Amino acid sequence: MQKEVDGVLVAAHELKAPLAVLRQLALSLGEMSVQDEHIRNEMVNVSERAMRQVNDLTRMSRLDEGLFEMEPVAVRAVCDDVTQELKYLFAENRRKLDVKYANRAKLVNANRELLHSVVYNFLLNAMHYAEEGYAELRVGDAKGKVRIMIRDYGPALPVGIWREMKRGWVEQPVSIAMRPGSSGLGLYIASKFSRYMGATVGAVRHRDGASFYVELPISKQASLF
Amino acid sequence: MIYVVDDDVIMAKCIARACGGREVKIYGNAIEAMEAMSDDELPELMFLDILLVGPDGFTLLNEMASYADTASVPVVLVTSLNMEGRDLSEYGVVGVLEKETMRPEDVRHYVDQYTK
Repeated sequence: MQKEVDGVLVAAHELKAPLAVLRQLALSLGEMSVQDEHIRNEMVNVSERAMRQVNDLTRMSRLDEGLFEMEPVAVRAVCDDVTQELKYLFAENRRKLDVKYANRAKLVNANRELLHSVVYNFLLNAMHYAEEGYAELRVGDAKGKVRIMIRDYGPALPVGIWREMKRGWVEQPVSIAMRPGSSGLGLYIASKFSRYMGATVGAVRHRDGASFYVELPISKQASLF
Repeated sequence: MIYVVDDDVIMAKCIARACGGREVKIYGNAIEAMEAMSDDELPELMFLDILLVGPDGFTLLNEMASYADTASVPVVLVTSLNMEGRDLSEYGVVGVLEKETMRPEDVRHYVDQYTK
């Protein structure tokens, strides 16, 4: 098992290095026209997204080592960071993101890095399937927990996957056939990270899309935010 | 003069380009860089990768810290390793740039601050 983990870590480093170089090359290009500048930004963003996925795989292979400390995390700050990070991508794809915070408890017990990845993966998924041109991010209270829910307006979620998610996690990456281009990896990563944090993931089927959510335990620490 | 020590030659050239026309020497490993410092004039600033072929960046830092002349060379680590919470100032480290997120202006910031 340890050898497998080491192999993943080495592979991740080998993958990250050329991605970082590609990103740096794009940034090193001199002054350019508005149109070329746009291409440069695309190159940088694609490299950064790929590096994020590699980082997620690295984190996933290290979950068993218990290196990710749980702490009080401000949900809004994490969601704001992710939406800021993906703002460019939503704009590029002419999608809108509607964000609403209605949670009373501001702090949850989580690992900031892992929670960031969970929200990121859900939002990226919603961006791909925001067929009606927008997606929604809602944060609210849910029976002693905080629920972060991301709604898209894409193809329906297969009932088999919905059923599997009812128990709070997914066992392995499953390609969502009715959702073209989906390998199920993002959902699997979100599920693994959520489980590590003592949170649960779930999905709601809509006739015109799907909502994915994560429910996190509220931190006992008084909210300072 | 600025040293860039990185075994990835393309990354090293990107950093050199970001130095905005200053004289830059690129070294692909720690031994070459250390030897150059004993023969050549000392760099005003060094951008140093950690995971190098052969002796790593930490070995070079340790070596530099042990000599009176090289101990005062300011070093900026350029790495994909997570260096959060590590204080390496006693080794002359004045900053850390993450390869995944750094931008040319971050390199220039250190160049402007530490070179004439």
